[in-house]
Amino acid sequence: MASEEEINLLVIVVDVNPIWWGQQAQRATELTLSKCLDAVMVLGNSHMAMSRTNKLSVIASHFEDSHFLYPGKSWRMGDSCGDDASSSGDGKYELLAVANNLIAEEIRKVMSKTEVRGNSTDTLLAGTLAKALCYINRVSKEFEVGQEIKSRILVIKAAEDCARQYMNFMNVIFAAQKQNILIDACVLDSDSGLLQQACDITGGLYLKIPQKVALAQYLLWVFLPDSEQRSQLVLPPPAHVDYRAACFCHRNLIEIGYVCSVCLSIFCNFSPICTTCETAFKIQLPQMVKPKKKKLKQPT
Amino acid sequence: MDEEPERTKRWEGGYERTWEVLKEDESGSLKATVEEILFQSKRKRVTESHGQVRLGMMRHLHLVVDCSRSMEDQDLKPNRLTASLKLIETFVEEYFDQNPISQLGIITTKNKRAEKLTDLAGNPKKHIVALKKAVDTVCLGEPSLYNSLHLAIQTLKHMPGHTSREILVILSSLTTCDPANICELIKTLKSLKVRVSVIGLSAEVRVCTVLTRETGGSYHVILDESHFKELLMLHVKPPPASSSSECSLIRMGFPQHIIASLTDQEANAAISTSSGADLSLGGYFCPQCHAKYTELPVECKVCGLTLVSAPHLARSFHHLFPLQAFTESPTEQLQKDRFCQACQGELKDKSIFSCPSCCSVFCVECDLFIHDSLHCCPCCIHNQSNP
Repeated sequence: MASEEEINLLVIVVDVNPIWWGQQAQRATELTLSKCLDAVMVLGNSHMAMSRTNKLSVIASHFEDSHFLYPGKSWRMGDSCGDDASSSGDGKYELLAVANNLIAEEIRKVMSKTEVRGNSTDTLLAGTLAKALCYINRVSKEFEVGQEIKSRILVIKAAEDCARQYMNFMNVIFAAQKQNILIDACVLDSDSGLLQQACDITGGLYLKIPQKVALAQYLLWVFLPDSEQRSQLVLPPPAHVDYRAACFCHRNLIEIGYVCSVCLSIFCNFSPICTTCETAFKIQLPQMVKPKKKKLKQPT
Repeated sequence: MDEEPERTKRWEGGYERTWEVLKEDESGSLKATVEEILFQSKRKRVTESHGQVRLGMMRHLHLVVDCSRSMEDQDLKPNRLTASLKLIETFVEEYFDQNPISQLGIITTKNKRAEKLTDLAGNPKKHIVALKKAVDTVCLGEPSLYNSLHLAIQTLKHMPGHTSREILVILSSLTTCDPANICELIKTLKSLKVRVSVIGLSAEVRVCTVLTRETGGSYHVILDESHFKELLMLHVKPPPASSSSECSLIRMGFPQHIIASLTDQEANAAISTSSGADLSLGGYFCPQCHAKYTELPVECKVCGLTLVSAPHLARSFHHLFPLQAFTESPTEQLQKDRFCQACQGELKDKSIFSCPSCCSVFCVECDLFIHDSLHCCPCCIHNQSNP
């Protein structure tokens, strides 16, 4: 059992790309954004109910910005207008009721106010994860030296990967690994190579959900237990991660490649000049073998 | 050896009145001054980046540790040797974290001789095990700078030209016992393009000053244990490459991790890098010769191909594209809400930091975290979406 001193912080990052969710609604599938957020609220409530010292944070990852759905700024500044509306009559634990109402209100604000520019269906997860890491860093500094705080991030991903954010994503993953923060991934639609690498490197769980309608069940079964309890449970096996690099010229995955020693770009074929940093390479020439001079035998 | 104008030593300057830094306010409390000092020390950690300078990413570093009688001195607790070895363990881990495709070797010197503790290798575990065992060594005799440098050169001179060759010496004794003229050795080091840096534990020694100046390294003497740690960590970042180092395309393999299931085939033997051979079900297969390895990065013993995985190369990217330092400004000038845009916390410090490209505002903790660990501005990443 966790000791009294340990604090578990769960940060849930929800991908709210409006184009992808809109397409889902048009196809009239059972999973809509509101049902997804219901499942997230169930997970959040369960996490907070597991122990008095557990903490929660929910971030929505939109096109060009990420918004903290919970805890909100106005809540922390002691704004009391939220409290009147939140007291629910069904005897629910007040913290959970406040959290749910806040999340619902904020997501309504985010979805109605944010402008939709362009029609890209990929979300910028790297920025949201970076903000989540900064938030975790601040929260862990706020406690005293003796208290341990264990954090993990759960990413609920809907749309596809964006290849442009590879480098930033890797930076975020290495920063999370250094701080011992697990990154779990719950993928709704298409497999994401970046998230598979993130989960493998930080030690989290990657799961692509077979049936979207049962999202709440998967969240509670797989992602609710924290890292110590996971060793006692039989969880989905780790996915096979493809760590092969993609060459810079054709974007093919290669098994043997040439790496520039200056800028570390990867090429599939040998070329005398590196296209990224424009250094000319020294080409190894085969060594000249001098023919041995044979001494002529002097006829005696 | 050409004579450089010597810097004035610290004792040659006037008295420093260090007590005048502390100023009391009206109520007699020192709180404001202490906070100011803490703030300044936090900011000192964010060092200036080199900018557009070519760095030596693949490094071959030899660490020379002095195990002579002076290491038994107790000015670092419990004694110099234990304290140094502990800090070197941290250094080894950080080194392989920041430079995953580099190699490290450790040499110890005592009793006028030098011997290799570990060979040049890319796996941190071997070094850490050896360092833990070395805590029990008896410190005796005099160190030999010549012998240790000579031993290091024997392996470094065979390394390919595009890698950076470095030696880091941790010298605590004020004397050295050399069999031959060290000036000749310094000339050899210069011709082999080896960069030697020294961290002194006692005092400045002239031969080290000359050695580091000629080879292009740095020489520092520690003040206390935390200063020692700082100086060691300075050597973790890749140094600027010397202009004469060659650049070439290195052939590398990117093996896949194959997880064989229990019903598939029998467990194959894998060539382990840490201890002999291991039996394992899955592993990394070399794309050229199909030899099996348990972990990366490694140099294939059968065909000589360097095997790495893509994240290893990605770890070094932040050295090549360093993040700009943020501009500092006083908090009072901020018109909008006083919230840090990364951690959503209130801005309580006296200065705020803004990113020069996206003008978002951050608090001092986030600024430190972003520059130390994250290496990318959270708000700039969002703006990248606009083509």
